[in-house]
Formats: sequence, structure tokens, C-alpha cells
Amino acid sequence: MSDARSEKKRDKLPGLNTANILLVESEEQFQKSLADALVEETAVTVYVRLAKSLPLPKENEESRPRIDLVVFIINLTSELSFQSAEASLKYLDPGYLLGKVCFMVTNARNVSVPTKRLDAVRKLAAALHCPLLFAEDQTSDGVTNATKRLLSILKVSAGLVPMATALYLSSLTSCTVPPRHRPAKLRLAPVFSGGVSLNF
Amino acid sequence: MAAQLNLSGPPDSGLSSLTDQSMSSRTSNRSLRVAEKERRKNEAEDPSVLALQYFYNVEAGTPVNGNDEVERNLVLVEQVAYRNGLSPEAISIMLEFAMSLRMGHSLCPRVLKCLIPVTVVPQEAVVRGVSWLGVGKIPVSTQVLFIKWVLTVFDMIDAKDQLRAIYGFIFSFVSEENLCPFICHLLYLLTSKQIVRVFRVRKLLELQSKLGRQPFLLNLLSLYKVFCPELVTLSIPSRSKSVFKNHNMPWKSALFAVQKRNGSQVASSISLASASKDGTNRRKRKHHHLEIPVLSAVVNKQPQTETSRRLVPLVQIQSVAELLENMDHIELPAQMGSLLGSSLALQYLDCVQDESALLRLNFWIGYALHEELLFCGDGASQNSEESLQFLNKLLSTQHFLQEGFSSSDAFLYKFLNVWDGSLLRPQILGLLSNIPVIPSSQIGRLLFEPLMQLFFTSSVFFKCGLIECLSNMLLKWLIWHSVYALEDDLDISLNSHTSINMTLSGFKDSVMGLVDFVGRLASIGLQLEGCHSLLLSFILDFYTMVCDTFLKYGLPLVVMPPPGVFYPALFATDPVSVDRLAFIMYRYKVNLTSAKSQEKLTEQAFHISRQTFREFNNYTVYMVNCLWNSKMFQPGMGVQLREELLLKSNVPQYWTSFDLVHHPAFMSYAIDFHQKCWPGKKDIDLDSIKHSKPWSWYLEYLFSQGYDGLALFVQSNIRAGQGNGQQGDSLST
Amino acid sequence: MDESKKRLVQRLIRRIPTKMLKTTLEKWGHLTGEQLRAMDSIQSKWALTESLLAICEENELAVKHLTELEMIYMIDNPDQGMWYAFQLTDPGDDAQSVDLMQFKEQFKSHLREIVRQVSVKIKKHTDEAVWIRIAWGDTYSRPDHLKPTYVVHYLQTPYVFVTRLNSKQKPILFQAMVLSTRYQYFKDANLSGRNLTAIRDLLMRKYQQVFPTKYPSPLTERKQTVTNPHVEREQAKPAANRLQMACEAFGGGTLPQLQSAVYKLETKFRDHTNTLMTEREEPFRCVVKFSSTNLLESLKNCASSGIASTPVTPLLSSIPLKGKNYFVITDNGPGPSSQRRQTQN
Repeated sequence: MSDARSEKKRDKLPGLNTANILLVESEEQFQKSLADALVEETAVTVYVRLAKSLPLPKENEESRPRIDLVVFIINLTSELSFQSAEASLKYLDPGYLLGKVCFMVTNARNVSVPTKRLDAVRKLAAALHCPLLFAEDQTSDGVTNATKRLLSILKVSAGLVPMATALYLSSLTSCTVPPRHRPAKLRLAPVFSGGVSLNF
Repeated sequence: MAAQLNLSGPPDSGLSSLTDQSMSSRTSNRSLRVAEKERRKNEAEDPSVLALQYFYNVEAGTPVNGNDEVERNLVLVEQVAYRNGLSPEAISIMLEFAMSLRMGHSLCPRVLKCLIPVTVVPQEAVVRGVSWLGVGKIPVSTQVLFIKWVLTVFDMIDAKDQLRAIYGFIFSFVSEENLCPFICHLLYLLTSKQIVRVFRVRKLLELQSKLGRQPFLLNLLSLYKVFCPELVTLSIPSRSKSVFKNHNMPWKSALFAVQKRNGSQVASSISLASASKDGTNRRKRKHHHLEIPVLSAVVNKQPQTETSRRLVPLVQIQSVAELLENMDHIELPAQMGSLLGSSLALQYLDCVQDESALLRLNFWIGYALHEELLFCGDGASQNSEESLQFLNKLLSTQHFLQEGFSSSDAFLYKFLNVWDGSLLRPQILGLLSNIPVIPSSQIGRLLFEPLMQLFFTSSVFFKCGLIECLSNMLLKWLIWHSVYALEDDLDISLNSHTSINMTLSGFKDSVMGLVDFVGRLASIGLQLEGCHSLLLSFILDFYTMVCDTFLKYGLPLVVMPPPGVFYPALFATDPVSVDRLAFIMYRYKVNLTSAKSQEKLTEQAFHISRQTFREFNNYTVYMVNCLWNSKMFQPGMGVQLREELLLKSNVPQYWTSFDLVHHPAFMSYAIDFHQKCWPGKKDIDLDSIKHSKPWSWYLEYLFSQGYDGLALFVQSNIRAGQGNGQQGDSLST
Repeated sequence: MDESKKRLVQRLIRRIPTKMLKTTLEKWGHLTGEQLRAMDSIQSKWALTESLLAICEENELAVKHLTELEMIYMIDNPDQGMWYAFQLTDPGDDAQSVDLMQFKEQFKSHLREIVRQVSVKIKKHTDEAVWIRIAWGDTYSRPDHLKPTYVVHYLQTPYVFVTRLNSKQKPILFQAMVLSTRYQYFKDANLSGRNLTAIRDLLMRKYQQVFPTKYPSPLTERKQTVTNPHVEREQAKPAANRLQMACEAFGGGTLPQLQSAVYKLETKFRDHTNTLMTEREEPFRCVVKFSSTNLLESLKNCASSGIASTPVTPLLSSIPLKGKNYFVITDNGPGPSSQRRQTQN
């Protein structure tokens, strides 16, 4: 099985003061604006690789640098987007799961998102101990902020932040179990309830 | 034109004598009417008044078919109605005529459709109309039309007290399948807390099991749930978004036309009301949803002399004095959201403590927040300016009332889970800091988990913002405690409007949880951000509050900062941070000493764990050793390094590196002092400052630069007269 | 005043947006400058109606003038309501030589032969299109000018576009069309849409088409904007491939705006697990409808973004290829073959 996992770039050495990020998004929309914003970073040279899904094509193997962070972008309004990310994960080298993967979710506040899908994404991220970031892809402020957050994770996972490692950061930020799986008492009837029911 | 004027105003003599006997309760306008009568004495009776008179007098059972008189008179009334609207009296007469079926039901819909009020709709007329429903030969479609009309002109009905009084009667119509949706809407508008009863809830639930989960039933039930959560156990779907539909179609254009022609204030309020109630036209509603409605009452009549009977709409109150005068009979507006915009209204809310008003406001806020920020449609980004305004308004309201709304808290707990950390950041953090005390069993899930993820993946500015927000939250909790704990030693109320209480130990657990959480964020945040001095400053702000919990806020709790905060502050490169740390340590000492003396005094007093004392002593000893004694690496201290390693570093006299002379934060002062002390000396030998005389001068020099915290720390920890080389004292456990 | 005229004026004023009224009236040319200015200053539709009615009286304008105004507005704004495309087949020898005058005369006379009460107005638009407005009446009633049928025909082509035609009048129109254009048959082209130009372009192949090629086409070069050298697309080649194939199927430039495509399936139900349905004799019927504000663009995007697999299924690509958006899919013969065939109708 491990042959199929093409994302294995341990043999490649990191470059000086560079960071490489791989953005995987089946819709290939948000990744473009993120990429454009990511390469603007001046403190570190950031190289961005864009992919629609994994596995990555063999022919680029040679030119491809060592990837420091893999970001799966999921548009919550599309089931396809989620399924594609799920399928791509199978091709990921397990080594990456030690702090070098994160999920970025868009459209989480959209009314057409079924709660089940959001829960499924949370479960996935929690099971893999990866951070789950929410992003506003519609506004330029949102894109800038998402870029900044990715950069802060990327810098750590590329080893550019002293005293911090990717695994350390991911232990702090990894997604937790979906809130819905907590005791039923705490589930609010959201719109109408007068707040948390505090029972003492 | 004269004819229209006549009909639009109160009818004149011929008719008023008639109306007086039947509608004796409508005496309020009597004085006005007398004046009108005078004015019109000379005017000839005009046809439209005669027409009204006809409808008032017409015998029951008069045939309609082939009756030209009816036709002629009705056309006259219609003309006036569509052009200028009908006066309250005219509406009473026509409504009574239609609903009593004096000439059968064929004319009913036509009459109902022309009931366009020019000013207000008399409540009595509506009540009589409703009562005719019970007599019941009216066709169902006409009944529906009547209720739709009532809904359309609801805001124009001059009072609602009698309508509320017959709530039970109106409620009885919910079982009529065709009327049910409209009756539910009407009930929704009339419901108050006292009205919610078990049997009504039961009836609605029974209907729901019969008709299915209809939005109109759900909406009414959800309102009942807001008023009496204990009666409605049913869970209402979070995404039930259907508001009541607008039923004003038959009258909309005519109403607008009439109001436009009359240049009335009413127009705007109707348009607003319809915009926010309009569930069918989502797009339109979207744009108006967060707009805070203008505080308005349609009843724009002159303040009356007999205020005791009628309620005074809040909008008519202009000053606090008036507010106080009318405190007991104030009518709240139909749209509670409008209260947010008026400080007088908030004043009223605050002092009356009207539970149902607050509940209604809460309900509205929760709904608006969810709708706009959690379950947005496409293109949600467009109305971010609106959201911003709304949240700012909400914040200032919370600031004014000095407490949050539970619905906004519930919203926040959910919003944090999908927040990108940037959208409306100042507002969200502002709302977050207003959250009341959360029990420690839930605080982790509701707050800490989502905030952790955001904190560690966001920029240093977000980190600062969040620390500040949590400081404010803690401050509010502590103030809350200091206010409410006085009333009762053990229990404090979480919220002045709820009966939920919390024990002192529960409160302490929550505070401890929050302080620990910030401690964790702070230590790791400083590590990740390379001890960013701005972040450090916000963290020290937080601990400046934490160190004083006992003395300043009367909470028997002392929590020390974690090493991850203490050491970075001690070794900070800016003197301000070191000074603030010294101040914090000084306050800890004062608090601990005072707590200890109280402990000796009374048996009851709280017990501070040895661990806390040990931590405090360790920090103090280390600080004194480091700054004062030049003994950085003593065995048993917080920071330990192997001797060989230190030698390897090739730092000469490494143990002096962080004393007050060589500390990077104070080095520049030391050099400055050196130059002032020995102006001629070319070689700077900082060690020479450490001699007893220059040392005390140097200290004085430092303190004169405004480092009061340092001064207090030195004064409290190092006995006077004992110069260099003296160990600081420690508190015994 | 004539009630029907009054109704027509009301209808016209209601339909024409205020901001377009001025230019439309100018084009009409039946109003004096002063009357135009007077009309321009009026805001409410009600007052406009009254004023136009008064002008009609004053200038002695009849219903036929008003229908002309309607036609002017319609020609400028054809995208209202559904347009249906039809095709004439089997041209006679002289079909190519029919000119406008001949057509006009013949069409009118053929139509009047069948229906006595009919009002026809024919106008040639600048782009070779002949616009025909038909107000139908029957034996007992006069032509109803409130529900006219519009027909657009391009002379010397077999294409006819029709809107607001009811089924009763269909055969009448067909016959008149066939006779006056010298064709033999008239058939439904199975294409409809709200945008007249779009269905015309689609039927007449007036949109930018892309032809299959093995070599990298200039298309990919055009699409590749100057990107930062630090950004690398891993799957650039497959993406370019998909785009090429999508363009081959649907065309390169801006595509004609279609609103829907309907597939009517009348095939045998095939599912080994469900014998009950599979063994049924009658075909399994169902209708699949795709709709969008711009269907072809959406389909192209689905293909190029990989949501729909490439090469594009002939079911989808035959929309532009055949110029149809209504398909009936039936089984190809009684055999067990699962081959699907698109019938002509």
C-alpha cells in the first residue's frame, strides 16, 4: 500500500529560509487567491504547490521540493469537496500527520451547509489530530487572515520558529471532538433558548 | 375635497349622535370632536357621510341584488377609502356592517378590502369584529380575510389591552384549520408571559401532531418557550427560519398610497414592519434584517388627559421625568429590536426589570445574530457593514445595561466554533468579554477549546486581543462577585434576571479555570512569538489584576503566574516589563500577607495552599538573587544549568548577567549612571556600581526614573539598610 | 373611446419600463416633440397611460399604430418569455429566391385564407430577421391584440423562432409558413430559451467553436496568466486537458445563454437486484432537467473543473452540437444491448 502513497519526500533536504506549502482543493478556487497572498511573505521564501487532489503526478517528482505543510481546503457547501479531500488523504504519507497537515474550511456559516457535514469534517480532523481552520474566502480581509494563519503554522512546521516544532503546535491546535457529541443536556435549541442551561 | 375631509375626520353632528350611543367607550376623542363639530356647523351634509349613515342604519335582511342604493353608497365609501383612507369611526361602522352580515356575506370581502385607516383603527371595532367570528355564519374565506386585515393594520390599532383580554377567545380559533396560520400570527403578536399556560401549550402540541410541524405553530410555540421554557419541552429546530408571512397583499398598495398622500408618519413604520416580517421575500428581508427598527408607535395622537386608562407608547416619552411619571403604563413597541436604539427605552428596561420585555428583546437579538452570522445565505459578505453596526449597537446596549444577553452568549458559543478569527474581531471579542461566569465543567468546551485553536494559529495581534478580552472577562466576573457576594456570602446570582445561582466554590473554580487557561495561553504564546513585548504587556495587564483578587475584589483566591510568564518577564529586554513584574510580585506579597493574617485571625477564612506559597517564595527568591545578589544559577532555583555548559558559553561572570546593573533592560541606565557618577572615567566598569555607596545611589537613580514597581518590590523584600549581598526574605508557609 | 385601444395602451405602458419609454416613443415617431417632452416629464404609470391615450385621440392614432409601438419595443427587447425554435425542411426549388415582398404578401394571404379574423404586421429588422406580429381572432371575435404571437424568421434560412403561440394556432402558422417560404415541412427544432439571440446563435452555429486537436492549442497559452514563479500547479497538464475537452464540447468564447436542458428517458429499467422493475415490459419513464441562468457555461465549467468527467458525455455535448435542448432517450431496438440512442425527436 505504501507504494501508492506518493507523498514521501523525506529524502529531500529543506532549503535555507524557505518553506513549501501544498494546497489541495478539488474546486481550485480558493487555493489560487491563497497562493498569491502566501508568496507575498517577505520574511521567508514561500513556495506554493497547488493540487486538485492527491496523488501528485509522478513526472513532477524530481522538481518537487520537500513539502512542509499540506493544507486540505474543503468547501463545506459541497459534498464533493469533502469527499475529494477524504479520498486524497489516503495517498498521504503517514509522516505528514505528525503536525504537517491542516484542514481549512470555507463557507461554514452558510445556511446550506448540513450540520452533518461539518461534524464529519470535525471528526476527520480530530481523528487525524490536525488543526481545523475556518476561513472567509469571500472577502479580501478573510483571505489575508487565512493566509496569515497558514503562514504562522507553516513557519513552525518548516522549522523556522525557534523552540517550536510542528508536532508541538499541532498538539495545541488539533481539532477536538465535535461539540455535538457532548451530553445532550448542553445541546441548545439555538435560536430560541435563553442561553446555556446551567443546572446546578 | 370637502367630502373627503369630512369622512377622514370624525363624522359630524348627524352621525356622532348615533355613534355616541353605540360606542360610548370612544369618548377619548370627544373634545376633538366638539371642536370639529364647531368647525363644520355650517357645512352641508355631504354624500359620503350620508353613505356611512346608510350603512350604520341599514336594516338586517335588506336585499343586495338589484339594490342600487347599496351600490351607490358603497362606491362612495370606497372612493374616499382608496383616496384618503377612512377615519376611525368610519372603520368602526363599516367593519360592524360587514361582520354582522346585515346584508349577507356577498359584500363582506369588498368592504373589508376598503378598510384603509387614515390614522388609527379603534381597538373596540377590532374586538367587536373578532366577536362576530364566534357567531359564525361568515364564510371561512371572509374570516381569513378579516384576520389578515387585523394583522395588516395591527400596528395601527390604538391599544391592545382589550385584545389581550380576549386572548383566550382568539385562541379558541386555532382549531379551525383554515384560520390557524393567521390566528397563530395574531396570537404571536399578542402573547405576553402571563398568557402562556399549560393547556394552551398542550393544545398547540396536539394541533402539531395533527397538522405536522407547521412553521406557524412552531413559531408560536417557540415564543411560548421563550416566556416559559419550563412549559415547552419540545426542541425547536435551530434552523427553523420561517417567519410569519406577510398578509398585507390586498391592502398594501392602497395603504401606501393613502399614507403617502396624507404624508403620515405611519407609512414609514408600516414599511419597516412589513420589511422585517416579510418571510416570503428573503432577499428584501435580508437587507433590512439587521437594521434596527426605528422606535415608533403608530398611535400618534395627542397625549390624552385620561392617561390612566390608556397605555402610553414608549415613543412618546421624551425625558426621564416623563418616563418616571408614566412608568406603570408604558406600552412597549411591537418590535422589540427598536429598544436597542433608544437610551430611554433601555433605562426603562433596566429599572422596570420587565421580564417579558427582556425575554422578547433577547429573542429578537438571538434570532438576528443567528440569521445574519451563522446561517447566512449566499453573498453574506455584502452586509458586513450592517452586521458591524448591529454588533456595535448591541455592545453599547450591553455596556449600558451592564450585562449581556443570554441569546448573544449562546450565539457566541456557536460562532467561536466556525470563526476565522478576523471577521468582526473587535466586536466579537467585545461581546465575548461580556459573557457571564460559566461553570467550570462547561467552560472548557464552550470557550477554551475553540479559543485555543484560534489563539495558536493566529497572529500576535489576535493573541494580544484575546488576552485583553479575557482580562476584561475576568474583570467583569470579579466585579460581579464583589457586588453580589456582599448580599449573600455564599451564593451569587449569575445574572440579575435569572434565578440561577452559583456557589462560591463553583465561582472560584471558574475563575481559577480562566486564570489557568490564560496562563497556558500566555506561556506558550510568548514562546511561539519570541517573547513579543506587546504580548507580554497584555499578559502583565492580566496578572496585575490576578495578583489583587483577594484585596481588591474580595475573592479568596491567589493564583501565581506560570514560569512561562514569570521568566520571560524577568528577562525581558525592556525595563517596563521587569518593573511591572516587580509590581505584580509586590502585590502578590501584600495579598498573601493579608490573607495569612486573616487566616490566623478567623478560623473560617480561606486556606491558601502551600504550593502557592512555595511558588511565590521561589519566584521572589529567584528574583532577588538574580537582580540583587547576582546569583543567577543557584542550586534549587527555577533556572538551572550545568556548570560545564555555562563555562562553555564563555560568558564572563555569567552569574551577574541579570543583576540590576547587567540586566539588558537596565544596562543603559547603568551606563548612564556610571557616566554621571564618574564623569572623568574613560573605561566603564559597571561592577564598580555594586559597591555599597554607589549601589544605593544607583537604586535611587533607577527609582527616580519612574520604576515604582521595582521600588516597591525592593522595599518590601529587602530590609532597609542591608546593602548588597543580602538575601530577600520569604513568606513562611 | 375604444375599450380595446385603451387596454392596449395600458398594457404597453405597464410593460415598457419608464426609462426606456422615451427612446421607444422616439423610434415610433408618432409624437410631436412637445408631446414627447410632456410624456417625459410624467412619472407615474397611471398618468402616462392617461396622457398617451389623450395623445392617441389627438393625433388620431389607431390600434395598428399602437401595435407598431409594441413591435418596436419587442424587437429591442426580445428576451421576454420563452422562444421556441422551429425548422423548415425539404426546400422547394425556388426556396432560395423568396424575397421579402413576396414573403410578406404570401404569408398574409395564406394566413387570411385559413383564419378570417387575423391581424398581421410584418417588419424587417436590420439583421436580416423578419419580425411578424400576429394577433389572432376567430370566426366570432376580432383579433385579440393583447395576446399576439411573435414570429422571427431569417429569410433564406430554414429557421423560425416563435413566442407566445398556443397549440390551436400552431398548425395554422405552420401551414402559412411552409407555403410562403416554399418548403415542404415544418418541424420542432426542440430548442427553447428565454434569450432569442442565444437560441438563434446556437441553431445557426454563430458561437465560437473549438475543434479537437492533439497539439497544445493557443487556448492554454491564453488562459495561463503570468503567475508567480513560486507558485506551481501540480496538475496543470490534466487541467489544461480538461479545459481543452470542455471547449471542444461547448465552445471557447462566451456561450449562448440557455436556461435549461430536458432529457426524457424512455428506456428499459436495468438493475440485476431489482427483477420486478427489470422484467417490466413498458419502458421506465423519467425526465431529467438541468437548469441554470447560463446552462452551457455551467456545463463547460463542470467539465473543465473536473466535476463532470471528460471527455464530455455525448448526452451533454449534443446540446450545442445538435442545437437542441430537449431530448428523448429510448432503447436502441429490443435487444439486450444497453446502447442508448438519441432519437431525432
